Amino acid sequence: MALLYFGRSKIRSGLSKLAAETTFGSGITDFDPTVWFAVNADHTITMRSPKVEMGQGVFTGFAMLAAEELDVAVDTIKVMHASTSAGPQSTAGTGMSNSTASLYVNIREVAATLRETIKLAASTLWKVPVTALQTADGFVYAGTYKASYADIAKQTKTWQVAQTPPLRPASSFRIIGKEQKRVDLDDKILGKADYGIDTDIPGMAYGAVLYSPYFGGELKTADTSLAEKAPGVLKIVPDKRWIGVVATTRFAAEKALTQIRADWSFEPDYATKDAIEAITVGKGDAVVMQDDGNAVDELTGDILTSEYRTPIGFHASMEPGIVVADVSGDNVNIVTSTQNVTFMRQTIADQTDLNEDDIQITPAFLGGGFGRRGYKHNAVEAIKLSRAAGKPVHLLYTRQQEFQNGYVRPNTHHILSGRLDKTGKIAAIQHEFATGSMAFLALPMAKPILGADFMVAGHGARIPYSIPHIKTTIWNGELPFETGLWRGVGMFANTFATESFMDELAGKAGADPLTFRTEHCGDTGLLRRRKSLLLNLGKKAGWYTPKADTIGRGIAVSEDRNTISAVIVEVQLVDQKIKILRVIQAIDAGTIINPNGVRQQVEGATMMAISAALYEEAAIENSQFVQTNFHNYQVVTLRDTPLIEVIIQESTEAPSGVGESPLSPVAPAIANAVYNLTGVRLRSLPLQSALDTHYRKDKRDL
Amino acid sequence: MKIALTINAVAYTFDADPDMPLLWLIRDEAKLKGTKFGCGMALCGACSVHVDGDLIRSCSYPVQLAQGKTITTIEGLSTGPTHLHPIQQAWREVQVPQCGYCQSGFMMAAAHLLEVNKHPTEDDIKNSITNICRCGTHPRILKAILLAAKYKKDEPTQ
Ligand code: FES
Ligand code: FES
Repeated sequence: MALLYFGRSKIRSGLSKLAAETTFGSGITDFDPTVWFAVNADHTITMRSPKVEMGQGVFTGFAMLAAEELDVAVDTIKVMHASTSAGPQSTAGTGMSNSTASLYVNIREVAATLRETIKLAASTLWKVPVTALQTADGFVYAGTYKASYADIAKQTKTWQVAQTPPLRPASSFRIIGKEQKRVDLDDKILGKADYGIDTDIPGMAYGAVLYSPYFGGELKTADTSLAEKAPGVLKIVPDKRWIGVVATTRFAAEKALTQIRADWSFEPDYATKDAIEAITVGKGDAVVMQDDGNAVDELTGDILTSEYRTPIGFHASMEPGIVVADVSGDNVNIVTSTQNVTFMRQTIADQTDLNEDDIQITPAFLGGGFGRRGYKHNAVEAIKLSRAAGKPVHLLYTRQQEFQNGYVRPNTHHILSGRLDKTGKIAAIQHEFATGSMAFLALPMAKPILGADFMVAGHGARIPYSIPHIKTTIWNGELPFETGLWRGVGMFANTFATESFMDELAGKAGADPLTFRTEHCGDTGLLRRRKSLLLNLGKKAGWYTPKADTIGRGIAVSEDRNTISAVIVEVQLVDQKIKILRVIQAIDAGTIINPNGVRQQVEGATMMAISAALYEEAAIENSQFVQTNFHNYQVVTLRDTPLIEVIIQESTEAPSGVGESPLSPVAPAIANAVYNLTGVRLRSLPLQSALDTHYRKDKRDL
Repeated sequence: MKIALTINAVAYTFDADPDMPLLWLIRDEAKLKGTKFGCGMALCGACSVHVDGDLIRSCSYPVQLAQGKTITTIEGLSTGPTHLHPIQQAWREVQVPQCGYCQSGFMMAAAHLLEVNKHPTEDDIKNSITNICRCGTHPRILKAILLAAKYKKDEPTQ
């Protein structure tokens, strides 16, 4: 199929390059220190975070940045979530691993401004010039004068906000770059941290909602007569696509829900094979994302071509979606675990008669995010239930709803072709891939303009090596269920395909996979950083040291908005099951704020990647997801834990994100290690079922 | 039905549906929110508590079975903020939690493991605790349990 949008294609591939290289902003414009901070009488300082804490350690990173300029200890700063009514607002939500990196300068500036503002107040009180004042450990000094920030605050009625001073140089950092314990550590160890689900308002009732388990299911008829009479039931609330129950306890609400007989109309035949067919190169709208040289003409003669597939995946955050809504009159107060307050507020305003200004949202700790809490939520349902019952309502997705009624990581299909030149280097390469979209769930109006979701689902699809002829094309297929962001967005699938293929080309060239990669790096910019990270990893992980015959070793690398992750994996087969022994992760994320925080993120991303690479796969039958809970959606447990080593590259570059980049190279590194051990090339995820299929075929062929 | 039980050394009496999972009684009636919901089908361990010293997944344990029993939740694991349970000490030292949501369940499972197996090997831990953590704190959980076993050994016996 020819490209339909010929006139726009150049613009789009330009946009795509821009999207791949752009780091996204924080979505914050208000840097008034009195909005961000409050100096408390007990000598603590409250900091309101416009980004949510979902485990990624953003509260700790923010407290460190602020403490650095405020001249206080990190634990003096008590970080809490900003709400729509208090603290700085972010229109960008929390994600893209950019919270700390995008605010690295801003937070220090706003903290430094607060420090100078306190000094200005002290100078007025003491009638001493500001230049004579010094700060340390939460105190202001001038000769014999000494007062804590809290004392100055107590005596100051109106603050005069100071000019933002120059930031302290990195050479004087006391806190940034040093090991720091998480500020939420003790609360999380004592069971005291408050998540959305823990919200408890006096007089609160509990909701439960029945949704169609089928894609696009519409409510035909429902018999609620039994449920109405069930004990504890306060209200039954039917809507177009769901039926809600409000009851005095969650158990009563859930029990009543099981007594509703609902009939759904839906198209019954959709199955996994249809999703695979829909997401196939050549189907849907196409956009050329990268076109350097003349790849198509250069791909003649001795070509290597391989096809890869990745399946649909769930986020499976441990805390299901949760909203507590308290409607009174034309106002609603919401407490929730969300990655995107702005989006939640807008969708509520769009779907109810409430105005944005009448909707107050307070985020709580998130029991995991992984992209799932950016968009679709159950706030509208909670509001309707609260209004009907005249009470605050606590509404939780069940695990089954979280799987069947949320949104998923789309399945993908990749065709890669390459040709080597006489010296064994890649002369030309082409990556054609098909995917469901990730961005259009939130921005449906962008689809006609962009054609295909090269910005988000296409992230990581461009071939980042130095090769004379490269072409990358995305095909955006249509799926009957909702697909969206997932940790690392397009990086996960695209890196699996491209880095597996790099290994296949290395094999064809008879080259060592690590050296083959560095030979295609060149010596400038991110490619230079990629090369030195690979070399450093190889040395520290013992890539060139001999290993036992029973062990396979694989390598892969990726780059995600200025962060580079390279990983070496060692595997074994035990009864034809892939066992991962050792994972050595090297990361170059520029300046490191908290090495401990980076290690936690890298370890966590590694485990999530192993889970998705080896086991996770959502299937479809009869127009619904087959998987309803963890018994049929396998994720890793302690048993799957390998030895994980983390190598942090020293750097003075600007800080970049760490939460997503280490995830994407793990799956191809495992596949490459399995190939190294067995000679079997696994080209689809999850790898364990790809290997099982291979052995089953082997048996049949005997 | 009237349910009388003890949670973290406090006696409670509730009027509850006998089939209601113990989890909701702990969270919504006793208002102890440290015990979490993850799956509702005894698959993830987020709701783990001790019932008369046994490790129980409270989302799948009807309250009628808890009649007269003694329950310990994460809030009752330590005898006081200055005297943390060895598991919590080790968890702090190793800095295990990320989002933290699964952690109460893991700590309750780990505390129970150390009661029945004072010196577990890494394989013992891997084979006996099947809880789910989505943030990937697994390597630190293993480290922390081994460390807690050491702390426990060093504690003076009461
Ligand atoms: S909530 Fe009880 S085991 Fe998952
Ligand atoms: S720490 Fe987040 S699920 Fe375990």
